Amino acid sequence: MDIIIMGQQLLGYIPLGDIVLYMAPLNLFMFAGALAFTTLIAISRTETQVEAGFGTLKDKEVKVGKEEFKIRRFLAIICGLATAGAMITGDLFNFTLFVCLIGIVNIGIVAAVKQVDVLDAAFQYGLVAMIATLPLFGGAAMILASTGTISLLEILNIPTTAMMIFGSLLLLLGVAGETGVAPFYATKAEMFRTPGSPFLLIIHLSSLLVIVRLIEILLIINKPF
Amino acid sequence: MSASVLVPSVVSPIVVSLFIPAVFTGLIVGLIGLMAIAYQKNDLSALILTDIVGVGMLILVAAVGTDLAEALILPGLVVELAEILAISEILLSREMRKTGKTAELIPLPVSLDMEIMTTAPAFMAIILIAYGAFLSGFTGGAVAGGGILFYVLSQRVRGVPTDMWEGLAGVSGIAWCLWLVGFLLFFVFPQYWLLALFLAAFGVFIKVAFKAGLIGVMGREEFNKKE
Repeated sequence: MDIIIMGQQLLGYIPLGDIVLYMAPLNLFMFAGALAFTTLIAISRTETQVEAGFGTLKDKEVKVGKEEFKIRRFLAIICGLATAGAMITGDLFNFTLFVCLIGIVNIGIVAAVKQVDVLDAAFQYGLVAMIATLPLFGGAAMILASTGTISLLEILNIPTTAMMIFGSLLLLLGVAGETGVAPFYATKAEMFRTPGSPFLLIIHLSSLLVIVRLIEILLIINKPF
Repeated sequence: MSASVLVPSVVSPIVVSLFIPAVFTGLIVGLIGLMAIAYQKNDLSALILTDIVGVGMLILVAAVGTDLAEALILPGLVVELAEILAISEILLSREMRKTGKTAELIPLPVSLDMEIMTTAPAFMAIILIAYGAFLSGFTGGAVAGGGILFYVLSQRVRGVPTDMWEGLAGVSGIAWCLWLVGFLLFFVFPQYWLLALFLAAFGVFIKVAFKAGLIGVMGREEFNKKE
C-alpha cells in the first residue's frame, strides 16, 4: 500500500465490490469524531426551554413530548451515521448521497415542532436543499463524464481538465445549499430556535464535518499544488 | 486525457456529441425552474416548481449515458422524492398548526361498492399473484401487490381478521432482510452471484407485494372509520 492522498499515507481500504471505503488519518479522525458525538447524543436527554413572559410572572416551559423525543433521537442518530459515512467514503457519488441524506434528516428533526416560525424556516431550508440537488448531482455526473470514474482513488491520478473544474464548482454550490452554509445560513439559524438541544446540534456538526470533507475532495479533484 | 480514451470506438459519434447539448438542457431546465420559483409567492407552488429543478438534475445525470449513470439515476430520483415528501410534510404540519385543523394523510371519500368486488376478486388476485411470481423482482412485486390490494379492497365488506395482516407485515420485514442479505452477498462474495441475485429478486418481490397489500389494509381501516 503506497498511495499518498493529500500528503497522508493511506492506511488501507475496505473493498466491498464497487464501494471502496478508504482510511487516511484525517478521514479516520473525523469518522471517529462523528461516531463519538452520535453516541453522546444517543444517550442524552433533551433540554427544556423557558419562555419568559415580559412584564408578568407567567413563565412558560417548552418541553419535548416522549413520542417526539424518540423520533428526534432516531433521526439524530441516522444523521450522525450518515455524517460518519460521508467522512470515509472513497466514492464521489456515495458522498453526495450521504450529504442528501443529511439534508433530508435535518428537515425531519425539526418537522414535528410546534412553533410556526421554525416550521417556516424548515420549509425554506427544504426548498433550498432540494434546489441544491441539481448542482450536487450535476457536478458529480460531470466529473464522472470527464474522468470516466467516480472513485476518488482513481481521480487522484487523472490530470485536471476544465470540465472537472466546472464539475467541482457545481459540487461546491450543491454542498453549500444542502448543508445550509454561507449564503443560505439564515434559514438554518432559525431552525435552531426550537427546544430539544442535543439533537439539534447534530445538524450543526454534520454540516461542519461535511464542509471539511468537501474541501479534501475538491483538492483531490483539482490538484492545485 | 482526450475523449477518445474514455469513449470506446463502438459508440457512434452522434451519441458522444449529444453530451454537451444535454448538459445545457439540464442547466436551462434548472434555470427556468428557479426563475419560476422567484416569480411566484405561493408556498405550495414553490414546492411543486422545485420538482422541475429536480428534473434538471436527472437530465444532467442521464447526460453521461453509461451503465453507471443509469445506476446513479435511481438514487437521485429516490433522494428527490424523499425530499419532496419531507418538505410537503413540513408544509402540511405548518398549515395545520396555523389553522388548528387536522387532516388525514390519505383522504378517501369514495365508496367502492361495486358488484365486481364480490364476484371476481379471488380469481383476479390469483392470476395477478401468479404472474407477479413469474416476473419476480420489483415489477413482479408491484403486480402481485396489486393483486393483494384488489383482494383486500373487495373483501372489505366481509371483514378480514387483522391478525393475518399483521403476519403479512412480519413476513414483509423478513423478506426485506433477505433482500439486504442478497445485496451484501453481491459485495462480499461476488462468486455466489446467482444465489445473491435470486435472494434479492425474490426478497424484493415478497416485500413489495406485501407492502402494496398493506396499503390496502390501511385504506380498508379508513373506510371502516368513515362508515
